Amino acid sequence: MIVESSDQVARFTLLKRFPVPRNFKVTPESRIEKGRTWPAPPGASRIKTFEVYRYDPERDGNPRIDTFEVDLDDCGPMVLDALIWIKNKVDSTLAFRRSCREGVCGSCAMTLDGTNWLACTRFISDMSKPATIYPLANLPVIKDLVPDTTHLFAQYEMIEPWLHATTPTPEKERLQSPQERSQVDGYYECILCFCCTSGCPSHWWNGDRFLGPAVLLQSWRWLADSRDEAKEKRLDTLEDPFRLYRCHTILNCTRTCPKGLNPGKAIAEIKKMVVEREG
Amino acid sequence: MRSPLARAEGLGSAKGGVKHWWAERVSAVALVPLTVWFLGSVIAHAGGDYDAVITWLKTPLASLAMIVLLLALFHHTALGLQVVIEDYVHSDARFAALIAVRLGCLALASAGIVATLRIVFSP
Ligand code: SF4
Ligand code: SF4
Ligand code: FES
Repeated sequence: MIVESSDQVARFTLLKRFPVPRNFKVTPESRIEKGRTWPAPPGASRIKTFEVYRYDPERDGNPRIDTFEVDLDDCGPMVLDALIWIKNKVDSTLAFRRSCREGVCGSCAMTLDGTNWLACTRFISDMSKPATIYPLANLPVIKDLVPDTTHLFAQYEMIEPWLHATTPTPEKERLQSPQERSQVDGYYECILCFCCTSGCPSHWWNGDRFLGPAVLLQSWRWLADSRDEAKEKRLDTLEDPFRLYRCHTILNCTRTCPKGLNPGKAIAEIKKMVVEREG
Repeated sequence: MRSPLARAEGLGSAKGGVKHWWAERVSAVALVPLTVWFLGSVIAHAGGDYDAVITWLKTPLASLAMIVLLLALFHHTALGLQVVIEDYVHSDARFAALIAVRLGCLALASAGIVATLRIVFSP
């Protein structure tokens, strides 16, 4: 089955975790230990348990999993609401990013029950028992659920994600027909949450050079824009065995995009355009 | 101490790779009919003796298809293994492994082609 969007219901569910022992092959300082349990407030009747990854490089030794019991009657419906509830009422040291709380800023991406999604657009009722919350995989952890995305944004900067044009700036806007405008549909909506790149096996093994699905989708967004006049330069930047061709169409990216976009298709379009340029 | 952008840039773009990618697709497409033909022929000659197989391989169409199959198969194998090595080998062994794969595939393809030609030109 070709995955075209994260809305698609999987025909079969794979194991959430390969049956390897926990902490398998993990360096001693990164082994996850069991942390504290924070019981629900007395009198709470509807309780949901969250297992949350905690790590503070300045204070702790190893990362640990804290267990929080959340009173659902006192808390909003989304996973982000539960995190805010924990921070306000239980443990104010819990660190996570959030801003818009409605799926448009891309700050709150994390690994929920083993797959990447935005905490603000996932219902608590859709989470397993207990619910598990980890930071995005394959990124250095700054604290708790806050990953270091410096390298990902540097890769994004490298593709120069803005309009390049040599024709002089017109008096008014640069025009586009409705048909031309429709070419960036499905790509301009990307919020750079990096759920996809964090889930991409090729980016795990070769992330220093492979650009990853988010940055490649953004590249295609500019290649597909009729107003852009720098196709040659953009394709030259991308055509590289590592930057582009490390993508092996595994489609984890498309499966996990919380905006329902299809980075796998964007990458295929780039590869097609490079072939077209060859003749 | 390099800046994040310098680290992302690395040594810059190789401005290549499309030929490898395209050759992999083309050889894969070529292998579909060739493999079907090969398996079909093997099954057809399953009960036959040595002479029957040799006579079949000596026909121009069969020997030509056999050589094309060997070329496509080992070219595709070399390209595919190169990708696997680039994906997973991050030490200095990468260079040696890439050369070994190339030479190995070249040797196997040559051996197959020489054997086919010897059969074709045998009296
Ligand atoms: S493509 Fe989707 S998952 Fe990837 S960064 Fe954009 S919005 Fe996030
Ligand atoms: S399709 Fe490409 S970019 Fe997407 S997860 Fe797979 S390898 Fe990564
Ligand atoms: S808080 Fe903005 S996407 Fe979740």
